[in-house]
Amino acid sequence: MKNIPDKDILLFRSCLVSVEYPGVEASTKFVFDKLGIDYSISEKQTCCTGLGHYSDVFNQIDTSAIGARNFKIAKELGRPNMVMMCATCYAINKKSVKLLNKKDDLREHINKLFDENGLSHLKYEKDDLKPTENIFHVVDILYGKKDKIKDNIKYDLSDYTIATHHGCHYCKVHYEDTIGGVRDPNIMDELIEECGCKTIGWYDHKRATCGTGFRQRYSNPDLSFNATADKMNAIADEDVDILVHLCPNCHIQFDRYQHLIGEREGRNFRAIHLNISQFLALAMGGDLDKVIGQKAHTVPIDSVIKELKEVEK
Amino acid sequence: MRDDLKVGVFLCECGGNIADIVDLDKVRQELDVEFVGQFENLCSLNGRKIIRDAIFDHDLDRVVVAACSPISHEKTFQDYVKPLNPYLMDMANIREQCSWVHDDKQKATAKAITLINASIEKVKQSDSVDPIYCQTPDEVAVIGGGIAGMNAALSLAKQGIKVTLIEQSPSIGGHMAKIGKVFSPVKIAEECGMCLLNPILNELVWNENICVLTNTKVIEAERRAGTYNLILEKSPRYVDTEKCIACGKCAEACEVEVPNDWNDNLSTRKAIYRPFGQSYPESYVIDMDNCTKCSNCVKACTMKAIKLRGKPERIPLQVGSIIVATGHKLFDMDKRPEYGYTRYDDVITQSELGRITGVNGPTKGKLLKSNGEVPKRVVMIQCVGSRDEKPDGHRYCSKICCTVALKNANIIKHKYPDTDVLICYTDIRTPGMFEKYYKHTQENEVRFMRGRPGEVVKKGDNFIVRTEDTLKGEFVEIEADMVVLSTAMEPSEGTKEIAEILNVGTTEDGFIKESHPKIKPIATDVQGIFVCGTAHDPKDITDSIMQATAAAAKVSEYNYGGVEIEPFIAEIDTEKCTVCGECIARCKYKSMSIQNDEIYIDPMSCTGCGKCLVGCKQMAIHVNGNIDEKILATIKGVLSKKQDGERMILVFLDNIGYTAADNIGVNRLKYPESIHIIKVISVNRVSPKHIHYALDNGADGVFIGEFPGDLMYDEVERKIQGVKDRISEMGENPDRITFSKVYIPYFSGLARKLTDFDKKIEELDEAEL
Repeated sequence: MKNIPDKDILLFRSCLVSVEYPGVEASTKFVFDKLGIDYSISEKQTCCTGLGHYSDVFNQIDTSAIGARNFKIAKELGRPNMVMMCATCYAINKKSVKLLNKKDDLREHINKLFDENGLSHLKYEKDDLKPTENIFHVVDILYGKKDKIKDNIKYDLSDYTIATHHGCHYCKVHYEDTIGGVRDPNIMDELIEECGCKTIGWYDHKRATCGTGFRQRYSNPDLSFNATADKMNAIADEDVDILVHLCPNCHIQFDRYQHLIGEREGRNFRAIHLNISQFLALAMGGDLDKVIGQKAHTVPIDSVIKELKEVEK
Repeated sequence: MRDDLKVGVFLCECGGNIADIVDLDKVRQELDVEFVGQFENLCSLNGRKIIRDAIFDHDLDRVVVAACSPISHEKTFQDYVKPLNPYLMDMANIREQCSWVHDDKQKATAKAITLINASIEKVKQSDSVDPIYCQTPDEVAVIGGGIAGMNAALSLAKQGIKVTLIEQSPSIGGHMAKIGKVFSPVKIAEECGMCLLNPILNELVWNENICVLTNTKVIEAERRAGTYNLILEKSPRYVDTEKCIACGKCAEACEVEVPNDWNDNLSTRKAIYRPFGQSYPESYVIDMDNCTKCSNCVKACTMKAIKLRGKPERIPLQVGSIIVATGHKLFDMDKRPEYGYTRYDDVITQSELGRITGVNGPTKGKLLKSNGEVPKRVVMIQCVGSRDEKPDGHRYCSKICCTVALKNANIIKHKYPDTDVLICYTDIRTPGMFEKYYKHTQENEVRFMRGRPGEVVKKGDNFIVRTEDTLKGEFVEIEADMVVLSTAMEPSEGTKEIAEILNVGTTEDGFIKESHPKIKPIATDVQGIFVCGTAHDPKDITDSIMQATAAAAKVSEYNYGGVEIEPFIAEIDTEKCTVCGECIARCKYKSMSIQNDEIYIDPMSCTGCGKCLVGCKQMAIHVNGNIDEKILATIKGVLSKKQDGERMILVFLDNIGYTAADNIGVNRLKYPESIHIIKVISVNRVSPKHIHYALDNGADGVFIGEFPGDLMYDEVERKIQGVKDRISEMGENPDRITFSKVYIPYFSGLARKLTDFDKKIEELDEAEL
């Protein structure tokens, strides 16, 4: 397996995390601290353009230029290992690094743009960053420290029925770097197992999209929500309490729209939705407000998690 | 003195192919040689007379033929220069690499002059050498005892050749023994596969020229002068095949039950077992991994054939040629979790369905689900792992799965007309007569849906197969109670192992690669090794048998004709050699060995790459044919014609790269006139000295191309990097040297690379002005 770093990390902030579920970031930091991971955050960083890119607002050149800028920031901070909380940031940045390293004409074009606009200091040199060695998702980093998770678990969540939803942009874009399976994704199932819990494993539609499809949610809501409903029904059939995510986009689709889709389907869906970092932070004793950020959730976390049982040491 | 040699140049007009672009009058004026001749078609028999007469009249020592590529006509002209030694002739390729790739007459003419001049300088460095002829032993090893290997062995044996048939499992027969029924597209009927296989098996067993070794693998191979020395390892059978009468009392007495792999693990067998009813040798065998050594079988055996102790036996085998028939395996269904193969019993493969419907299978031919009921609807999913660009999938078509599905669908329909059979396909591929069988299947009320299912899920007692009906553009959920997966064919583990042991090239998919996909579909890239059956690529029984018999014919050709070898190979000066063995370790082609306390070089496998030269402290090795000097002379010959302001790029290619370069011309693609291709017997022979010399004496760039499949590829790549580093240290631009992969089929890629490199060099030249 690829080498997973635990230091020189730039934790790359995500628009959706910051705006929708700030608890995901707080939880990631909480868990990273517990696991002894060396990271920092930069205020200079910008959005990856993902939402705009997939809605045809930013083309690939703009996206790669923004990427080049962010890569430079990481490099200059001496934190070349970029770690994303959002699967879309992960896929977008990995693709940009690949393109900037491989396509000489694109790199030269972007560098020329930098030059022409007085931004020569941002110029990207071939192989400044490497797609496999430098671009990660938070789950990768957690997976690298998998063995340390057990020692930090405070609460026992094993009585809950837990399922995982692996984001498409983590599993299905850069196959070669995905840990824990592509067709049968299991990286989060393995991490959850380290918390002393067992997920339900494979379920119908486990591999399917959340349905967001970026602009599809707005321009083709029927298509989008049909896909989400398929998955929600499958999860309800398994009587799932907690669905664990790794992408804020999926998280929004499920958490914000669960009630709406429930009405549409005539069924009362009751699963709560946690990011993998929130799940780990919860199990490690993170405060529900200050760390998990429960107030930002639409499906109340305490509708399922009523009391926390400490693990027996 | 070499400079005083009398050289004659013969220009070929090639019926206008050359003369229309290259101004041959101008060429004649520019050449400073003893004699220049010109003819419309030099390769015709009249050309022979012209050349021969000139050699006599002008007392020529060396000849340059400026015509097409040596790949087309080198042999012809080597013959035409008699009585001169064939290696005192060199060809300047002014067709494929000049008139066919350039439009500008003036520039093309200048380039032709340069190329001819390079040949003149080169041929002056040539010496007389004689080709080497090798006769190989007649004995043959056929590796793999499936339908392909059996047929190859039988064909050779009937021609009087001694064959050893090597099979790693306890019985010959291969996949065909277990597929149940086969079908004939012409008769439109399914028939018993075993009944067709058995006569072949019997004939083979009774043929005195064939020695069958089962439970046996090749573990080592060494090649020496056209002889393969194989080391075989025969695992113990624990049952004496001479004594065993296959009565089966031992298996009755055995208490260990294990899954029966011959039945795709759908039934069980004992630890002492006979693989299948007609297996050969006709004897039981003990599966020692599962045996408890209780000795019940020993007691039960009235023939005293069983011995629970035994050791693997090593058998040396010497043969002249080898046929690889190591076959295929089926796609691992763990890689497609969405189809639920590992989760649900009634999701099976076509191979398992073949066992289930086979009368000698686990259900004696009854189509039953795991609960013992006959399925109401069977859905077959095609292209599982084939034509699949997702991770772990294969991009190729496995070729037989469409017809296998049709056959099995028909078998189900014959026996259970009420069972609905639906085949979800990507495209139905039934070329030739198979199309009739497809029609027959449709008439048999088997249903078809175009679409590749995304997943199989269990809902209640039934499966839901989700797919898009791509003809209607509709999403469909199909209910079924049995799902059959048509899994891809992959090279077997044995195929991968033998490729490594024999050093035979494989395709990117791991199949044994033929030396030419169109005109040499049976030879491999190693002389004397041939391939047939599914070790080569996915194919059906008929094709496997055809290729097997063709392989046998190729072996016969080889046995009768002997082999002519280019003489440019290494030679040892035994006076100087201390037999330190350094060269043996260095040779990637395994052509060196110690025989009778001397280093012996196998002329068949030595490529003249010269790697051994570098490591020899005694300087006791020499490669025939003045190769170093010839390369240097060629470089000088090119550069001496450089005109002011002309850009000159030297391109070094071996036989493979040169063929690709020829293909650029054959397909009339273009590249710049600055490109001058120099053919070398091995790219490794282009030394740093040559590159430095070229760059110091007017070359603007050096392009070295190597086929990545060549055993020396990594070595050459490292070496070129070394040269670049040294050039950098000397303050020159390393970008003037490039190392590139070349492949024969990707000639357009090579044309592009040459053009790009020229552009890059042009930019460098401008920048440095």
